[in-house]
Amino acid sequence: MRPMTNIYQPDLMEVLDVQQQTADVKSVRVRFRDEARGDDFHFRVGQFGMFSLFGYGESTFNICSSSNWKDFVEFCFRRTGRVTEALWSLEKNDTIGFRGPYGNSYPMDKWVGKNLIFLGGGIAMPPLRCAIWYALENRDQFGDITIVYGARRVQDLVFRQELDRWAEYDRVRVVCCVDPGGETPDWTGEVGFVPAVTERAQIPAENAVALVIGPPVMIKFTLPVLAKMGLADRDIYTSLENRMKCGVGKCGRCNCGPVYVCKEGPVFTLEQLKSLPNDY
Amino acid sequence: MSQIISKPAIRRLVELWLRQGKRVIAPVQVRPNLVSYQPVRGPDQVLLEGFVRPLNSIKQVVFPRHEQLFQYRVRGKQIDLLPAPLPDIERIVLAARPCDAAALPILDHVFNWEFRDAAYNRRRELTTVVTLACTEYDAHCFCTSVGSRPDDTRGSDALLLDLGDGTLEVRHTTDKGQSLFAGQTQASTRTAPISPGPERRADLRRVSQSLEQAFERSEWAAWTNRCLGCGACAFGCPTCHCFDMVDEGGPTCGARVRNWDACQFGQFTLHASGHNPRGVQSQRQRQRIYHKFHVYPKKFGELLCTGCGNCTRNCPVSLGVLPVLEAMQAEGA
Repeated sequence: MRPMTNIYQPDLMEVLDVQQQTADVKSVRVRFRDEARGDDFHFRVGQFGMFSLFGYGESTFNICSSSNWKDFVEFCFRRTGRVTEALWSLEKNDTIGFRGPYGNSYPMDKWVGKNLIFLGGGIAMPPLRCAIWYALENRDQFGDITIVYGARRVQDLVFRQELDRWAEYDRVRVVCCVDPGGETPDWTGEVGFVPAVTERAQIPAENAVALVIGPPVMIKFTLPVLAKMGLADRDIYTSLENRMKCGVGKCGRCNCGPVYVCKEGPVFTLEQLKSLPNDY
Repeated sequence: MSQIISKPAIRRLVELWLRQGKRVIAPVQVRPNLVSYQPVRGPDQVLLEGFVRPLNSIKQVVFPRHEQLFQYRVRGKQIDLLPAPLPDIERIVLAARPCDAAALPILDHVFNWEFRDAAYNRRRELTTVVTLACTEYDAHCFCTSVGSRPDDTRGSDALLLDLGDGTLEVRHTTDKGQSLFAGQTQASTRTAPISPGPERRADLRRVSQSLEQAFERSEWAAWTNRCLGCGACAFGCPTCHCFDMVDEGGPTCGARVRNWDACQFGQFTLHASGHNPRGVQSQRQRQRIYHKFHVYPKKFGELLCTGCGNCTRNCPVSLGVLPVLEAMQAEGA
């Protein structure tokens, strides 16, 4: 019998680059220290990993780079607890631990031929970004792409430079908004909350799927807008962010009713979510 | 024909196993009114009668309370990970209650669900479980309500049944059990009587669907109001297996460890954003019941409960799965 490997022991990854996105958000680019492991590594956009700093612990983040990018992966975090506080000090050449990829993914194959609507708030940009880049890199497979992204203030927008780059692509519309009071004098985007801005944007819903990720309150008020636009529950996708420790269906905390988010999620359609108990 | 063995002969076997370097875990009278499964130092410590069941379970034999997953060493930019060595000591659990042994094949599902847990499986291979059929019960025993019984052989390699005269009938259920007692038993015409077990209070194998419908009921708060959130129900439970993973040590050396955890703690599901899907104690109690009687059966086809009653026995306010389910059923849910 093939010896079982230690499923809790991470691979080592080298930090290639750290970008400060906002006052409390950074993105990190890493690659496997073991070249062969890197060559073997494949993931699908929407999957997540367990990223760790030895002596501090492990945290769950979406892999926010595109699965087409072969030599590295990226993740993004907000400085908010013990692990992310330690990750905040990461520098080029440092080593972190990585386990993954885990979970299901966005069904990009199923979305071929569809118009894509990406809706996000705040720190939810990273899990949208991987799918946005993937779609742009396979531009001919998808129809119109609309991105609505909001943050509290202008300085809280994550991957802000990339928003401008995406807008330059063919048939891509980027709608950016900040909460009232969060605008700067030179702000040219919208002012308002994501649900209202989405409604005002008059995005055609025909042949469209939507990926909505953000704080619970944003999702709660955005879903009725999408329904009003005419999107069916099975065409609305989200990614749940339940607390996890093992990532592999053992430690027992991420379940939402009968579904283990780490294994059967994190990506769900609204139709699936409605069949689950209100436990997320 | 049956096979029998005397209690002194069992104790001589314990002595032999210990001499062979095996670890023997058995019910031990720790102090008056406290029986606990523990590694024994000598054969006289093993309780073979006169107890209902230990207040802990045998899960720690395969799933320790605390274990290292790997160690790390940091020297400048160089980091080395040293995997924790796999366990290699053979373990014999003697006189385990059937409600403890039954938990092991139930736990096998989750520890092998796509990703296989190497240390757990290694300990399972190294462990032989000898159960002792029950003849006495207390008010908290409810094995018969979850489809089990006092002589259940699930998870057991050999079952001992008391013949009442200082001898035990031995029934092997696996090759492991067979070889453990090979040449140690005598043929007999006697067979032990089987106790009917505690009175059946409900059929909890069929509660899954009513739980699905009762999820949103406001009475959960009333049914579980007295819960203190201490987690004692989970730690004494043979099937509760939730764990935490944390780093212990400093920035230059230490270990990533796994510790038992419990769904009754608020931080268990607390998101980094501050959002908590189970921010209220009654939601956490509901989760425990759901996991055992709805989620696990739906996923793996078996209840995550063996009816041992330890959740109530260990509970400082006498809650536990049966009182909660009975309260629920009393209100027609």
